[in-house]
Amino acid sequence: MKQVLLKYCTTKGNMLVMNKLRILGVAFVAVAASAVISSCGGKQTPGLEFARNMYDPIAPNYDTPNKNFANGQTAQLPPANTTPIGYDKHEEYPNTIEGYLAASAGMKNPLVRDISNLEQGKTLYLHMCGHCHGPQGKGDGEIVKQEKFPPPPSYSTGNSSRGGAMKDLTDGKIFHTITYGLNLMGPHRSQLSPDERWKIVMYVHELQKIQ
Amino acid sequence: MRSISLVFRRIAKSLLFVSALSFGVNANAQDAAAPAGDAAAGAAIFKQKCTSCHAISRQVVGPALKGINEKYDEAWLIKWIKNSQALVAAGDPAAVKVFNEYNKTVMTPFPELSDDDVRNILAYVAKEESAPAAAPGAAGATGEEGGTAAKGDEVSNFMLGGLILVVIIALLVILVLNRVVKTLDRIILQKQGLLVEGEDQEESAAVRFRRLAKNKKFVFFVIILLVALFGSLGWKAMWNTGVHQGYQPEQPIKYSHQLHAGTLKIDCQYCHFNAYKSKNAAIPSLNVCMNCHSYVTASDKYNGETSPEIAKIYKALDYDPATKQYGDNPKPIQWVRIHNLPDLAYFNHSQHVTVAGIACQECHGPIQTMPEVYQYSPLTMKWCINCHRTREVNSKGNAYYDKVLAVHDQLKKGEKVTPAVLGGLECGKCHY
Repeated sequence: MKQVLLKYCTTKGNMLVMNKLRILGVAFVAVAASAVISSCGGKQTPGLEFARNMYDPIAPNYDTPNKNFANGQTAQLPPANTTPIGYDKHEEYPNTIEGYLAASAGMKNPLVRDISNLEQGKTLYLHMCGHCHGPQGKGDGEIVKQEKFPPPPSYSTGNSSRGGAMKDLTDGKIFHTITYGLNLMGPHRSQLSPDERWKIVMYVHELQKIQ
Repeated sequence: MRSISLVFRRIAKSLLFVSALSFGVNANAQDAAAPAGDAAAGAAIFKQKCTSCHAISRQVVGPALKGINEKYDEAWLIKWIKNSQALVAAGDPAAVKVFNEYNKTVMTPFPELSDDDVRNILAYVAKEESAPAAAPGAAGATGEEGGTAAKGDEVSNFMLGGLILVVIIALLVILVLNRVVKTLDRIILQKQGLLVEGEDQEESAAVRFRRLAKNKKFVFFVIILLVALFGSLGWKAMWNTGVHQGYQPEQPIKYSHQLHAGTLKIDCQYCHFNAYKSKNAAIPSLNVCMNCHSYVTASDKYNGETSPEIAKIYKALDYDPATKQYGDNPKPIQWVRIHNLPDLAYFNHSQHVTVAGIACQECHGPIQTMPEVYQYSPLTMKWCINCHRTREVNSKGNAYYDKVLAVHDQLKKGEKVTPAVLGGLECGKCHY
């Protein structure tokens, strides 16, 4: 009797342990599966959506594909010989050394030199030029300091590769250089409208005076 | 003069290993003392004056400098570096040849360099060209510590998981206790001799399941569990329908904002140059990439080859880095848009960036720590409205708000505000 009872108890105990393990296992798998599903699924897709057609614009955005044009893009170049308002006029000063000198002789900053324009020029300069030319135009911007990009000449003490000191650069020369770039500097006319370039020219003239 | 430089060069070459080892120290110490003719002093001048057009082993704007010491004699090089145009004007055949070879690109004259300075540079060039090809410079930008983007969402997930765990444990405890009670019952019954031992030892799975299904407590808990599970999942799903927060699609180029905006500290608006003047912040076109990447190829990390990700830019532009010429078959990179505001809502970047002066990170999160960008904010109407309820209008120096505030002052003073004051006489109000 005693033996039988003992046997019964142990088998019962084993069963309990087995059940526990099984339940624990199932619970673990369930939790793990739900964690995996919820963490992986979300990142690559935008998730559940209702009425997607309310999200998609009817008129194409500038960055959406477009079947109506031969190259499949919505963003198109303006037709030949046209100038959108506020953009560069027909190229009077070509990207040559002659064009550069002609710009120097023929161009003058059309903007009035005042605090508002200078402040906007400073903001634009820091956004667009400062990371190479440095906050004071000394050719010591952040990516130059980190030796990721070679230093440009200082506005106040350097020499231009097209002759003359950097501090003597004229309106037209600076404007021409921002427009077309020079040596390792790329052209910035697609990023800056002519007015914005003139504001930067105005501010660069201030940096040329720093000793 | 020439023999001195030769001696220096020989010394430089023979001490190559020593100097290569001590280069880092030299580079740091070069400001303090510059002994004549040594490569370390030359390195300082080279980095300051020459690197914007020249590299040792590849053509940048001007020719690669490898081997110039053998190709030209030193006196000529000194004259050329100090004022190349004078040599060209004087009709020196070697000078005219180089000038024409490089499309008549004028080399910046350096009259401020002394003869010794130039010799230092040449010593540096000689040392560098004989050094093993890829001397990795300053250890690459490993980026700042990858910011832990703490997402408030994870807290609630954690809590949900915890709750489920508690329910499961409770269920287990109940099951175990049930068993114990039964076992004790059995033992009592057996002791009283009412139960024949081994009666229901061998019950099949189906029988056990049926018994379990009749257990009201068990069924109750299973139902509670399922209701809680599906209820919370459904609740979450419904609230998050159309909310793309955390959306992080794979992009065609592995562009890292952590590197460009974080480590290199390039201003957001250099590339997203429309954010302050347009509705769209704009995904930059590839010519913006090329402003730097016509020079930067990250080849020191890829055994002298162009980085495969930068090569994708060249391929899309049909650009040949060897000849620096663009082909006529460019194809746009098809970036995947992350922030998809529904078409029924209007959002204008310039209003928020320029007028309100809100930093990019307030909506886009710690972009400068993201190797891959994800949508940080929910972009729900509630999110917009909460900000519009609490933020103060930045009316300073803004003529538009001047008029609004003037009208309010008029109202406060009890003066009459006519439709004309509010622009009621604009032609378009009636004749639209």
